[in-house]
Amino acid sequence: MTEFVLALGWLGIYAPMALGTIASAIGCSIAGQASIGAMLETEGGYGRFVGISAFPSTFVIYGIVIMFTLNREVTPENAGGLFGVGLLAGIALMYCGIWQGRACASAINASKEKPEIFGLSLAPAAIIEGFGVFAFVFALVISAGIS
Amino acid sequence: MSDPDEYIALVSSLPSSERLFVAKQPPLSRLRLDRRLAALSAEHSLMLAQIEALLSWSAYDMQADEAVAIRRAKAALRDIAQPTLRAIVQDRMELRTAVAALRLRARGDGPPPGAWGLGRWTRHIAANWSEPTFRLDRSMPWLREAARMIEHRDPLELQRHLLDVSFRRLQRHAARHQFDFEAVVIYVLKWNIFDRWAQANAEAAARRFSELSLEALRDFPDLMLEGQAP
Repeated sequence: MTEFVLALGWLGIYAPMALGTIASAIGCSIAGQASIGAMLETEGGYGRFVGISAFPSTFVIYGIVIMFTLNREVTPENAGGLFGVGLLAGIALMYCGIWQGRACASAINASKEKPEIFGLSLAPAAIIEGFGVFAFVFALVISAGIS
Repeated sequence: MSDPDEYIALVSSLPSSERLFVAKQPPLSRLRLDRRLAALSAEHSLMLAQIEALLSWSAYDMQADEAVAIRRAKAALRDIAQPTLRAIVQDRMELRTAVAALRLRARGDGPPPGAWGLGRWTRHIAANWSEPTFRLDRSMPWLREAARMIEHRDPLELQRHLLDVSFRRLQRHAARHQFDFEAVVIYVLKWNIFDRWAQANAEAAARRFSELSLEALRDFPDLMLEGQAP
């Protein structure tokens, strides 16, 4: 039983990193496909489409930072805390990354027709980034209470 | 339900459907559209062809009758798994059924006997044959205007009205689909509407030109046109 609890602790430490990577991979892939499609239809401004499609890559960085913050000797006493904080922070990052990719894809699709809305169309993606930052910051704050 | 991110690159490579209706020149030819649609999977490509064969009049022979359309519709409804696409097909067939009933009534015919048309309203229409809009004002608010156009024998305006109704219905479905297969089908159906709209406008322009030419030539009865015998 103790080994299982310790394994959960390790899962909690690595979960933000793994789920953040999944988030960034899927999010960048979704937005990247939109930018490739938009390049076929537009005559220029390709660089900004590619730039937007890299937006979801921040989630893997948040995941790495949370992983290093949680990284410590795993004991039966702290394994539950590491598991709960790490796994839930990772899930939050994963959803934020995937949906930010979709928001970026919509922004690219809309701004290829109307370049004047380029900045405004990124607002939903920026708001989702804000939610991801909440999950990141409070994972760091709460992890300070785990012995 | 389709994968919501299945055709992101394809949809992003198409000009917005709103631009189709404001552009003087078509922003996307059928040839280019077909090239982009090559990104569809084989299964989706077949399904799109089936839906187009059902909903585009150009896919019917001149001799094709109601039975052909109903047979195609039943086959499509059997094969289509996506609820939105089924709803689109059903919507369009109900629209056609109601317009066919208006035309029959304008011709002086009574309600068709037995099974006819397709959709929820066939029996209701037959039961309310003498009512101006078959008591379908709430479900089909556009029907009154269509009936007026049929009575005034204005097929071009009727066609525009029906294309407008079909387009607005597609817009309603499109709100819930952005990058999936349904979004691609809705786009192609909108493109077909745009194509027919453009053809109708071209026909109207040609007719108007002919009328104006005849009116102008009326003032010069002695004018000999090239190739015309004196």
